[in-house]
Amino acid sequence: MRSDRHILLTLFPLYSVIVGLFLSGLMMLFLGQNPLVVYRDILLFAFRDIYNIADIFAKAVPLIFTGLAFGFAYRASLFNIGAQGQFYMGCLASVSCSLYFSFLPKVLLLSICLLSSLIIGGLWGSLIGYAKARFNANEFLLSLMSTYVAIAIMNFLIRGPLIEAKGEYPQTDVIAQSAWIPLLIPHTRMHAGLILALLVAAAAYFILWKTALGFKIRAVGMNRDAARFAGIDERKIFVSVFFISGAFAGLAGFTEVNGIQHMLVQGFNPMIGTEGIGIAILGNAHPLGIVLSALLFGALKVGGALAVQVSNISSSFLGIMEGCVMLSVIISYFIRQRIMTVLEKKRLQEESKVKIL
Amino acid sequence: MSTEDRDIVVEMTGITKYFPGVLALDKVNLRIKKGEVLALLGENGAGKSTLMRILYGMYRPDEGQIRVNGRIVNIESPRDAMKLGIGMIHQHFTLVPVHSVVENVILGAITDPRGSFSIEKTAKEIKKLGDTYGLEVDPFAMVNQLPVEMQQRVEILKALYRGANVLIMDEPTAVLTPQSTEMLFNFIRDFRKAGNSVIFISHKLNEVLEIADRIVVLRSGRVVGEIPREKATEQELARMMVGHELGEIKLKAENNTSGKKEPILCIENLKVRGNLGHLAVDALNLEIFAGEIHGIAGVSGNGQDELTEALYGLRPVSEGNIFLNGTPLTKGKTRNIIDLGVGYIPADRHKEGLVLDMSVEENLVLKGFDLSPFSRKGILQEGSIRQYATQVIESYAIKTPTPDTPVRYLSGGNQQKVVIAREIAVARFLLIAVQPTRGLDIGSTEYVHQILLKARNEGRGVLLISTELSEILSLSDRISVIYRGRILKTIDRQDVDMDEIGLLMMGVTGRQ
Repeated sequence: MRSDRHILLTLFPLYSVIVGLFLSGLMMLFLGQNPLVVYRDILLFAFRDIYNIADIFAKAVPLIFTGLAFGFAYRASLFNIGAQGQFYMGCLASVSCSLYFSFLPKVLLLSICLLSSLIIGGLWGSLIGYAKARFNANEFLLSLMSTYVAIAIMNFLIRGPLIEAKGEYPQTDVIAQSAWIPLLIPHTRMHAGLILALLVAAAAYFILWKTALGFKIRAVGMNRDAARFAGIDERKIFVSVFFISGAFAGLAGFTEVNGIQHMLVQGFNPMIGTEGIGIAILGNAHPLGIVLSALLFGALKVGGALAVQVSNISSSFLGIMEGCVMLSVIISYFIRQRIMTVLEKKRLQEESKVKIL
Repeated sequence: MSTEDRDIVVEMTGITKYFPGVLALDKVNLRIKKGEVLALLGENGAGKSTLMRILYGMYRPDEGQIRVNGRIVNIESPRDAMKLGIGMIHQHFTLVPVHSVVENVILGAITDPRGSFSIEKTAKEIKKLGDTYGLEVDPFAMVNQLPVEMQQRVEILKALYRGANVLIMDEPTAVLTPQSTEMLFNFIRDFRKAGNSVIFISHKLNEVLEIADRIVVLRSGRVVGEIPREKATEQELARMMVGHELGEIKLKAENNTSGKKEPILCIENLKVRGNLGHLAVDALNLEIFAGEIHGIAGVSGNGQDELTEALYGLRPVSEGNIFLNGTPLTKGKTRNIIDLGVGYIPADRHKEGLVLDMSVEENLVLKGFDLSPFSRKGILQEGSIRQYATQVIESYAIKTPTPDTPVRYLSGGNQQKVVIAREIAVARFLLIAVQPTRGLDIGSTEYVHQILLKARNEGRGVLLISTELSEILSLSDRISVIYRGRILKTIDRQDVDMDEIGLLMMGVTGRQ
């Protein structure tokens, strides 16, 4: 009985995806479109050919990273909603290394780019953790605002030291081919960053459930007081969690710059952090769940982009659809908390009744 | 009948309030009459503050209704409460420190729809109110430059300015000196004489007996007694609060006062500040020997929590020394103190003792998961953990479906066994046990007692803190009585005089 309830609650985010699709379907009706046809098109287009299928994976890669960034911190009951900024810092680190060390051999160059985006993203994130540990700052607000600082730094660097040789647009030069992440399937956009993303998801799982550090993180996340009584220094956990979380988001910068864009354009991919939050909630903050939800969103993006082209719905409708799904996923999180509270309350009342009798 | 009804200002019926993990209030009924001082008595966590916060609109009740002057009301915020004439003086003041007295009083009290107000006029009214009730304070003084008792006056004036005729005071004397307390009581008497009502929250018996007309005792979220002051005695009230007759209590085991050796724990002149900044532990001295259970008796809220938290590195020590086997602990981190061999059974196992959503085995190694053999090079050794857990589950007879069942799904007694098994393993020298049997049934309580005695017989020192006096008396080899952060007296078990202990707990010394 109890475990049945648990499974139902675990599947909660899935219902919310359906609700979100239903809501955006209603809006399609207002636009004079049959939502069933549109959804069928999305499905058909997403899996039409090898290029599109490969693109689903390419689109999912950065979402896996930002989803892990939020989900990992969430396991410690910490809110890192600054993945966008950590992502931009990773982009900057990776594009700088790609531009300045282009003379190095490919393997070495890519390793440097990877490590630099990981470290810079991590350090940027750990600033938040440090401020929380040292000054008891609110990590939610701090991580939110750190994104704006990161955007300002990016604007400065891209209009200044990193601007393209022509000096026309706020973007960098295209990076040398030796800094490109190799493709997994030729003539598609699916690159080896996918393997990295899966490895990192596995690493997140390993850290959380197989290491002493992960034990501390989960203990702090589930009961900060008991963790303190057990001698776990929560402040150290704040810093390490935010480093790891920021490093995950930073790696998205590496795969986007070196795997897809091959340059850095000012303010690109501005939604990747927010989408990561929804994906992490949809995936129950579990690495496997996050990978699957990121793939779902990848498919929606790829199929949706093509479906709107044939169905004369404005392409901006895609944003509405994504928004509906994202909103209902996030709302479902609170509804689920509410249901758990009510269930727990019932249980307590029943227990206390038994005691009186 | 009807005249009596007319006398009732506030009536709360069937109030139930749930917080994650606890039922804070369980169908509580409370009536407050006009011109009466009602004392709400109870230990920390009994539900006094929660009940009053509901009346003041800070919490919403999950069940129950509130009537003010006979009408059912819906109090959704302190603003609603104030409109109904209910004011509250909080334990933590709610003043803006960098504003003047008059600015603080005006804040939120502007009734003019255009939002206009006059500082001068308000200042005059404050002076007038102050004169009426003997609460003189300079309206233009900055709050942060006023001493604590004056800040409390400002809080009271704030409520009076808003027309409060029911004043809730949440442990108002906790931060006051005896003289200021007397002045506060004078105010309360004047205020009552003018036909107003006061709800006085406290766990100090002498104060309650001095000021209250009627006393309502709460325990674990329920009303357990109601008596007029004339009929109340300290013993009677203490019994209702603590929930036990201080009758004959038989010893659980032979005393162990022979062969006193080196003390394991030495506490010298310890001073620790509580959350309100006052000295909760005030120049406390205590020694605990190997192979003894040392009980601390006292009404809760007399510094017990602060003492044990300071011992375990969870709260900074202001002054004084703590030595464990000669090693100073004063600046120790919890982690180091654990490694030195000190176990701690906390009062609230759900909040402090267990991570409810972690498994039984994870909770069993909560204080040793990063040490060999449970971890190697930072990697958890699941095999060793499982093996250890299986063995502990068997030797302590912990009833759980599997070692990886979340500890949340165990019964209270089995949850406490998980805590105790872990702490006994940690406590090579000293075991601190705070309310180790709270909320347990008789069987589990007996089991816990046997474990504590076994720990003692194996040569550990046990510091037992409990508000259940019977528990202290039946287990301890020596008993120290704590009152207002000091040990008033330490007595060997065989020399115990029940009356003396009862009076010492109320702070009465020097009786022969």
